[in-house]
Formats: sequence, structure tokens, C-alpha cells
Amino acid sequence: MTTLSDFKGNVKPDWCPGCGNFAQLTTISAALAELGIDPKDTAVVSGIGCSSNLPEYIKAYGFHGIHGRLLPVATAIKWVNPKLTVIGYGGDGDGFNEGTQHFFHAARRNTDITYIVSDNQIFGLTTGQASPTSEIGMKTKTTPDGNLETPLDPMTFALTAGATFVARGFSGDVKHLQGLIKRGIQHKGFSFIDVFSPCVTFNKTNTYEFFRSRVYKLDESGHDPKNFTQAYEKAREWGDKIPIGVLYEIEASRYEERDPVLKTPLIDHPTMKITPEILKEFT
Amino acid sequence: MSDKEIIIRIAGAAGDGVQSAGLMMAKVFSRNGLHASTYNYYQSIIRGGQSWYQIRASSDKVKSQGDGLDILVTLNKDGIERHTNPEINEGGASSLNGIAIYDKALTGFKQFSGNVKYCPVPLAEIGQKYSKNPLLKNTVALGALCGHISVDFEILADIIRDQFGGKGEIVEQNVNAAKEGYDYFVNTYGRSEKKLQYKKESKYLLAGGDSAGLGAVRAGLKAFFGYPMTPASSFLHFLAQHSKSLDVFVKVTEDEISAINMAIGANYAGVRAMTGTSGGGFALMTEAVGMSGMMEVPLVVYEAQRAGPSTGLPTKTEQGDLLQMLGASQGDFPKVILAPRNVEEAYYMMSDALNIADEYQLPVLFLTDLYLAEHYETVDKLETDFEIKRGKIAKEGMENYRRYEFTEDGVSFRAIPGTPGLMHNEDSDEHDERGDVVSDAVTDPYVRKLAMEKRMKKIEEYIKSIPPTPTYLIKDAESVIIQWGSTQGPVEEAVDILRNKGLKVGVIEMTHLYPMNKDIAELVKGKKHVIFVENNYTGQLRRLVMSEFGISSELIVKYDGESFYPQKLSEEIEAILRR
Repeated sequence: MTTLSDFKGNVKPDWCPGCGNFAQLTTISAALAELGIDPKDTAVVSGIGCSSNLPEYIKAYGFHGIHGRLLPVATAIKWVNPKLTVIGYGGDGDGFNEGTQHFFHAARRNTDITYIVSDNQIFGLTTGQASPTSEIGMKTKTTPDGNLETPLDPMTFALTAGATFVARGFSGDVKHLQGLIKRGIQHKGFSFIDVFSPCVTFNKTNTYEFFRSRVYKLDESGHDPKNFTQAYEKAREWGDKIPIGVLYEIEASRYEERDPVLKTPLIDHPTMKITPEILKEFT
Repeated sequence: MSDKEIIIRIAGAAGDGVQSAGLMMAKVFSRNGLHASTYNYYQSIIRGGQSWYQIRASSDKVKSQGDGLDILVTLNKDGIERHTNPEINEGGASSLNGIAIYDKALTGFKQFSGNVKYCPVPLAEIGQKYSKNPLLKNTVALGALCGHISVDFEILADIIRDQFGGKGEIVEQNVNAAKEGYDYFVNTYGRSEKKLQYKKESKYLLAGGDSAGLGAVRAGLKAFFGYPMTPASSFLHFLAQHSKSLDVFVKVTEDEISAINMAIGANYAGVRAMTGTSGGGFALMTEAVGMSGMMEVPLVVYEAQRAGPSTGLPTKTEQGDLLQMLGASQGDFPKVILAPRNVEEAYYMMSDALNIADEYQLPVLFLTDLYLAEHYETVDKLETDFEIKRGKIAKEGMENYRRYEFTEDGVSFRAIPGTPGLMHNEDSDEHDERGDVVSDAVTDPYVRKLAMEKRMKKIEEYIKSIPPTPTYLIKDAESVIIQWGSTQGPVEEAVDILRNKGLKVGVIEMTHLYPMNKDIAELVKGKKHVIFVENNYTGQLRRLVMSEFGISSELIVKYDGESFYPQKLSEEIEAILRR
């Protein structure tokens, strides 16, 4: 059995007071503890951004890589050692700009990793520039006259890419978020959880209050997460009412089950000896 | 030309089966106990164009595609004129001085009867007797060729059986067609007076991509992540085709950035993994090369150079990526650049590269080029034993574990995820001994300095292990050539030519390009001329060696996409020596 304190890292988070990332650090740790997962069997992989500093603050095998590239690293770690619970964690700038291509392909591979995005709709670490999920018209350092780009929708993107678990949470509802993360980790395949995570310093639009007054829970509204069309419709819902919860969850085969070499975890493969018999092929 | 050696060229359009016929012919020699080396001249086109495949075989080790041309087999009309006309010069390739084998139906081309004996054979007509497949004419041509040079037909028949999968109708059609071509040629034109010294033994026949792949597996490679790019694809294809038999996981990813990040992730998780690409793909990978350096995750990158810049000449050779490799990624961090000179060396050096990456926990860049990656060479023997050295890997129970402990040699113990009690963070941000970041809340200049020195120390440690720089005929040499990579063969042959003229010249052959062995400074001491020979425009190795050792030197370059030819190169060297 593990407890929340087993996942407590040595370093104190340096996020701004009130940052949505705190709730995610707690809920990820609590979900892992609740599932009885050992910190030694946990790999937390991130990119670059405020949220991506998380591996420093959690006791596990942390990998704090480069901007946008956490998913290839996380995927490979899982392929090498499937006994590890692999969590990919980063922000909207990291995942939906430079990481977009990896996001799409990681989803269609359906490797058994959990990808959590702290979505604050702004670049925080670089002090407040428009991100791919910033709303149209939003004024930031790089968009003094308002953002001109249509925001990328992570939900429909993930569904289109073939993710087998697509969910949305809110840092302002810790209990609900913890349940989602737990379910995401338990899901066998690529789980994607986009988390509304207000940036209290640079995003004055998408605040706790903004979300609190709009979000409603899918599991309380008769949504069928096995129905792709319904999931897609819910993913498109944005305005006065915004759904949170599991939009979509199905079982499907994973890449690691399809590849003949990967069927045995790579870490357990014996060393291949080159022998004169093998070399005969090359005469 | 002596009885020892023969040069054969098979020409045609892309899609004519030139490459596969050429490789079969190379096998004819390797299975007759001769040395062989091939050269594949082709374009970035799937059908059409003009390509050719040259095979040079000899009782002695074959160092390059060579000068001269004894037999031409041409599968289209364009090929006849192109390879018989002394005026046409394909990047230094010789025109025919010998016999031309071609289909009887090909007529109306310009003849050069002084040097060429024209030997038309009803290739298509014979082929059609056995099958409607037009490629059967290639098999007939191979038969004719083997008849001419007195190869035991059964050896060719076995190669055909291997090529077409053992038994069945297609194999029979090809064997019979080859036999008829064989007999037709012998009965019509007779056998060659050249008596090659065939032996009842087989040699290995491998391309550089194959041998590097085998060398990697020998060193325990478990995963390869890549993205297709000529000429790195020969390595990727080799591993993909042998994924199950050699037990290597092979994944083609969405891009090169993903490939290198996956390779780093897999190494971090505890297995030997690598990536591979050519110059353009490597440009995309550079940021992650620095991550491997900073996080001290072992990594090997196979890079096969092609002629740049940008898309450049996708199917042509060059050595233009050295400075890109050297400069890859921001900041100072330890890295190693290795460059094998030939197919055999690629095998051993790749095994070593994987050990170096693990022992020093840094990126090792394995630099080859199209010529080396794609041409086939015979190899007598391949040592299969190898000691895998994984370096410092932490075990459960290690007390006061610090991932980046400041050690004497700069190398610290890495804990593989899953090891109880040794959880830690590995970071691309600057970090202290524990792996905790020293750049965010408070920057710590003191720790930064120590961390930088810790990493750079590894390179000083590694330098001690670099073997002496290989040389060729350097003992009494008055002047010396410095070469690297696949130019070894033509450079050595050019030196042989010059030695026969009484010119005392030798070669320094650089395999460890960065960091360098300090013996270079000793080796050039007192030499009248120091001449760099490079397949690029600016003399990239020369610039690097000059900056390291302050050596003054001269430069011979070739940047037309082709490798050096010994005769022409010897003339260029001689001109400098006689200055």
C-alpha cells in the first residue's frame, strides 16, 4: 500500500500561489496512492512550461525533457518497461504547439500511458503570451489587439486522432479530477485528460470563477462515453455550459500488443548473440 | 589490367533491375572466394533515368570502385553510348575498354570500335522462351556474363535460387534462362582470356548499413527508432527486416524529433536504443542531442551523409555534415563523433559506439556517408565475441544516492526506473547532484559551475581511451594525406599509384573525429606536405584539425556527388607534391 506522502518530492513547488497546477500535483499523487502504485514503478515525464516542472515535485522516476517532446519519451519508456505506470504531464503550449504532431500519433498508437495537460490557455513560464488554446480576442503580450487565431480544441483533436480515453477536468474540483485521473491511469491504452487549470497571474479571462459558473458533470447528465458521436458533440460544447468528465472511453488493442518483439517487455529480452550461423545469411 | 582483377558495370534505367542484378553478380565473386566492392550510381527516381551498378572483384582486397571498365552489361540503349563513349565522364568513372553485352534488338547507337568489342545477345528473346516477365532478360545477361568469365554455372544457379526463394516455377525459369544465356555467350563469343583466381570458399558480402546494424545487435541493441531518409534507410531497412530474427524492436516514427526522443526515453528506461538519419533529419534532432548531453542519457545516432545543402542530391555521396554534427545543439556538452572508413570497420565501431555511450553517458554520433552505407564489400572474418559494458548502473540499496554525483571521472551512477529506493528527477534544466533544478527559484552559479565541469570531465576521461590514429605507409613518408570516412579506399589506391612512381607519401586515417587523438600533431611533424582529401567543398575536417592543432595544410576536395577515383586523385596529389 502506498499513501499520498510517499509521492511527496524533496523540492517545494515554485508555482504562483493559487495556480491550478497544485491541485493536479495533489490529485495525481493521490490517484497513484489510491491505486497502490509504488513510486519506484512510476515514471512522470514532462516537457517545458510551468506545469512541466512537476516531476521535480513528485517522488517518482522523473524525466523533465524538452519543450513539446514528452510523449515520444513517455511512449518509449512504456514500451521498454510496461510494469511502469507512465504519466505524461505538460501544458497547452507544450502539448498543442510543438507537441501537436506527437499528440496525434501517440493517440493513434494507443500505448498505455496517461497524458494530462494542464490547460491554462496561456504561456505562463514565458510570462504571458497567447497559446494554442487562448480564446479569440484575448489580449496578451504577443496579441496586444487580441488573439486572432481560432483556438485548438484538444477534445475533438484527441477523438479524431483515435484516443481511447478522452476526458476533461477542472482544477477547481479536486475530488472530481482525482477520480478522472484514477480512471485514466486504470484505462488500458492512451488516456488523455485536459484539465482547466486557471493561470492566476496571466490569464484574467479563464479564471476559477469563469469555469465554476460554466462546468457541469457528464456523469450526472446521462452521457454515454462509449458513443463516439455523442462524445464528439459534447466535445464541441462551449459557452455558458461546458461539460467535464469522461467524454469517451473504449477498449482497443494497444501498439505494444501488436508488435511481435514488444510482446515481451524490451527490458526482459536477453542479449542477442551474433553467431557464425547468423552471419551465414550474408555470404 | 592483371588477371587478378575485373571491373564490371551493369547499366539501365531505374526499374530495370540494375541493382538486384549487380548485387547478384557481386555474390558470384564473393562465393568464388574473390574480394569484391560495388558502387551504386542511381537517382532519386523510381522508374526511368539512368543508373548503373559497378562491381570490382579481385584476389586482393578491393579498396574502391576503381579505375577502368572491362565488361559492360547494358539493359537499355542509353547505357551503351554513355559507358562506351570516352567523352562522357560520370563524375570520374572510366568508359569501357573491353566487351559490351546487350540485347540484340538494340541498334542505331554510335559505336566506338577502338576500345569496345560489341557482343549482342538475344537477351529478351531467350528470356521470353521461359516467361513473359521482361526482367528475365537480366538473368540471361548474368548467365552470358558468367559464361564469359568462366564462372561455375552452379554457383550462379544457387544465387538465383536464393534470390527467388528456393524452388518453384520462377526459380526454374530463371535458372534455365541463365543457362541458355551462359551457353549462348560461350558458343558465340568464347570465354575471356582473363583467368580470375576463383577459390572454393565464400566471403561475407555486406553494405555499410548492414554491417553497422550487425555491429549494433552484437553490442546488445534492443530498439531502433527512425524515419526514412536516403541514405540512412539502408540501416533502417536492415534492422526492420531482421527485427524478429535479431530481436530488435524497430519503430518508424512521425518525425525525426520523435525518433530521437524515443531513443533517449528507451535508453533512460534501461535498454540499448538508438536512432538514425541523414543530414536533414539530423538537423531536426539536434535539440535532443543536447538533452542527451545535459541529462546524461546514453545515446547513439547513426548519420549517413548525402550531398547537401537542403534536399541536395538525395542519392549522392558527400562528407558535408561534420561541422553540423560538431555544432549540434546549444551550449557546451561532451559528445563523441566516430567515423568508420569501411564496411568492416563499421561493424566493430558501431559495437564500440554503444559501449562508449553507456560508459560515459553521453551522445555518440556515428558518422558515415552514402558511399559507405550503400555499397557492398566483401569481408573475410567478423569477430562475433564482444564485451558489453553498460557503465555505472545503480543498484537497489545504494546509500545517499545522487544521480549526478560529482565524481573523479565525471561519470555517476544512473538508476533505471523501477529500481527501489532510487527515485530521482532527470532534468534538461541545469541541476545539482540530486538532479534538482538550480535554475528556477534561485540560480546557483556555484553549483552550475561544478555541474558543467562534472559533465566536461567525462570527455577528458574518454580521450584517454581513443586508440592510436590508423595510418597507411607513413613510416618513410615525406608527405602525408589526411582522410576520413569512406575515402580511405581511393586515397590508399592513389597513394599506391604514387608510390609506384617513387613518391614517398603516406596517409593518416582519422576515425575519431571528435574529440581527437592528440597523436595527429605528432604524425604530421616534419612532413613536407600535409594534404587533406575530403568529399565536401570547404574541407570541414581540415578546418577542425587546424583549429585543434594549428597545422598548415593543403586541400583536395570533390563535391560533385561522387566518390574519388584513384587515378584522378593521384594526379591531383602529385601536382601538390611536385610544387
